[in-house]
Amino acid sequence: MTIGFWRLGALTVAIAVPGFAFSQAARPAQSGHPDFSGIYFPALGPGMRSQTPTQLPYNDAAKKLVADYQKSFTVDDDPGRYCIWPGMPRAIWGAPFSVEIQQRPQDLSIYWEGYGMYRKIYMADHNPPKQLVPSAMGHSVGHWEGDTLVVETDNLKPYPYMTRMATSSAAHVVERLHLEERTAANGQPAKYLVDELVVTDPKVYTEPIKIKATLQLRPDLSLIEYTCTDTLWDEYLTQRGLTLPDLDELPGGAKE
Amino acid sequence: MNRTIVALLGTALAAFALPAAAHHSFAGWDMTQNIEFKGVVETLKFRNPHMAMTLTTTKPDGTKETINFTEGAPANMLVRMGLDPAVIAPGQEITVIGAPRKDDPNPNQYFLKAIVLKDGTRFQSVGP
Repeated sequence: MTIGFWRLGALTVAIAVPGFAFSQAARPAQSGHPDFSGIYFPALGPGMRSQTPTQLPYNDAAKKLVADYQKSFTVDDDPGRYCIWPGMPRAIWGAPFSVEIQQRPQDLSIYWEGYGMYRKIYMADHNPPKQLVPSAMGHSVGHWEGDTLVVETDNLKPYPYMTRMATSSAAHVVERLHLEERTAANGQPAKYLVDELVVTDPKVYTEPIKIKATLQLRPDLSLIEYTCTDTLWDEYLTQRGLTLPDLDELPGGAKE
Repeated sequence: MNRTIVALLGTALAAFALPAAAHHSFAGWDMTQNIEFKGVVETLKFRNPHMAMTLTTTKPDGTKETINFTEGAPANMLVRMGLDPAVIAPGQEITVIGAPRKDDPNPNQYFLKAIVLKDGTRFQSVGP
């Protein structure tokens, strides 16, 4: 028996999709708008994700930065190894981890299991707060256009990793999110949250970048805690020559 | 050390090259290779952003060698596959499929691609 998870070539995620009931199926909220609440998992396969243009349209100044970056940084100099959040707009592509959305009339809270990323989308008609500092997820304000949630995000802190989709503090993101029902790979109907996103960042790119990402509603899944810094802490302790006590070696409890 | 190159997969790593694949890059590993190791789990860290393991193998002359799997799939992926600390623990005999580094194939550092238990159950985290 082989239990597969992540196939590189096709980048398929082989988590079994049981014939679950749509206990969390998107339902009209009391406001009359769709309810995006639920647990999702990134959907892969034809039509689920795209980027246009496929090659990032760096301007001349950014091209020089890319060239300099590639001279200095190796493949191991990767922010992900050090638990740096991908942040917006990169987060919406989705690593193969669960995503939970909780929707209220005044806001949506999105929790990404991967990296423990957290994002708020404030609704424009509910007096959204001002953002005090730039952040990885930025400041997002949304409004409804029919059944589509339109979200504008700015106040992003720079993401200066030139082998990824780098963005400056001038980046501006507009998203259009809507629900679709399609037939999943197992032949069963499934709900999908489609996020069509446009990134503009004139400091880095010559034209807007259009991204599409899709999440599949997966009420059969749960979220697992994703702590990311244990290895970094271990490395520090090793450098300091310190060893933490093993509390599980103490007598008592269930082991006795 | 029982070291056998099982197959060259020829699988492109373009998927991980997506600029916003959201997780960190595994581009430093030669994922075209499947190198098989049989041994006993020495240490095991179920962690994010990636797991790590050391495996004690026995050379043909009877001496022991520690193989370092310094990177593998994130712990959360492994748990969703059913590979959790209740299934595998230090002291257990297993087979591990690893990939070496691209820049230096012999630094005793491998990416852990798959684990095969003694009953034949295979947990494939990356690659076919």
